Amino acid sequence: MTRRALDQTLGFLRALDRTASADDVGRLLVDEFAAFGVSNAMAGTVPRKGTPARQQHGHVLVNTFPEAWSRRYLARGYAFHDPTVRHLADSTVPFAWSDLRERFGDDAGARRVMEEAGDFRLRDGVTVPLMTLDGEIAGFSLSGERLAMNPGDRPMLHLIATYAFGHLLRLRGPAAAARAAKLAPREREALQWAAEGKTDWEIGEVMGISTHGVDFHLRSARTKLGTTNRTQAVAVALRRGLIT
Amino acid sequence: MIQIVTPANEYCFREEMEQVWRLRHQIFVEEKRWLDLARPDGREIDQFDTAHAMHFLAIEAGRVIGYSRLLPTTRPHLLSDVLPQLCEGTLPRGPDTWEWTRQAVARSHRGRGKAVNPVSLALLSGIVEWGLANGVRELVLQMPTLYLLHVVQLHFRARPLGLPQSIGGEDIIAATAEFDERTLARLRSLTGRTGTVLAATYPYLAA
Repeated sequence: MTRRALDQTLGFLRALDRTASADDVGRLLVDEFAAFGVSNAMAGTVPRKGTPARQQHGHVLVNTFPEAWSRRYLARGYAFHDPTVRHLADSTVPFAWSDLRERFGDDAGARRVMEEAGDFRLRDGVTVPLMTLDGEIAGFSLSGERLAMNPGDRPMLHLIATYAFGHLLRLRGPAAAARAAKLAPREREALQWAAEGKTDWEIGEVMGISTHGVDFHLRSARTKLGTTNRTQAVAVALRRGLIT
Repeated sequence: MIQIVTPANEYCFREEMEQVWRLRHQIFVEEKRWLDLARPDGREIDQFDTAHAMHFLAIEAGRVIGYSRLLPTTRPHLLSDVLPQLCEGTLPRGPDTWEWTRQAVARSHRGRGKAVNPVSLALLSGIVEWGLANGVRELVLQMPTLYLLHVVQLHFRARPLGLPQSIGGEDIIAATAEFDERTLARLRSLTGRTGTVLAATYPYLAA
């Protein structure tokens, strides 16, 4: 049983390596957990109390919530009332939103956020607490109308959320531009043949271009991928699913 | 500065190794309450502190302020002998794979915030530098799941060996962490260092 959960996690990590944008990551997560009733994903670092709404935006790494809910959440500063955010500092293991009712039952602000989230079909959820290298508190939430997730599923979720968060931070980082590189069709084709062990001359024959032209396309692909030689370019392109 | 201690140069670092055993006892027994490791003489030494262990010491003005241990996975180590339940598949074993254990930083050097402290980063830089120079490309780790994000953020390619499990009240995961020049570049950009953190001699080469 856990072996299967681990395999599922490893499969997810491979799929994650191929995503090139936060939206892709959000979609992948929702797909991966759709069977558990998950319809939305949200991740970010916790803003310091009093951070203005437009700066809070920068703390969000991925968010698939309905637009109207996101707008209201930011405009009304719900991040500072939301019990799932406030509980992050006190927990190191994933928790279900339903576990928080007791702790925040008497807190009007917390109750309002939860009730209004329910109006947007975000009644149920699980949140994974995280902490960045800089010591920032962060969280990853999966939510939906009604989740069918057992406490036994949480370790898998913990791993997946951790990797997805690390990946989202990388997508933001300086290497992000290179990562999002789109290969031109001829670059992709040349690299695909290179992955199959063909020499420049052979690739030129199949593609109907000169050896010099092959070298040109491969060089260009290497630059876009930020790699130093053909082997590394093939490895990176495979990992990102640019070639098969 | 990070000093590597092995049987080849141990005789030069007797005093420092004494400090290591005591630092380990303070942190792992007295602070973390891993009571199985408690020793009446206050020196935490276990069955893996053999001639095959490599000790990484962070030393400042003669005082050991941080420590890490590497164990070869070709011999008995923690994951193989103590916590095998954390690994659900085949144990990662080989001359290019070493297990990183007993990461410790003296309380005086931990800093106040929750950010990862410079001593930990220096120890890890030393381990990665040593690995890159000696054909080692992967570490085996057992750690609180909370730190897995740090490993990923430091540009290791980390792969879980099993799902997180609760051990002694902590949520623990085993993982492999592959590293390369990018990992070292990332560590250096975080510490603001351009050169090596390792002490000048490499006596273990003669071991």
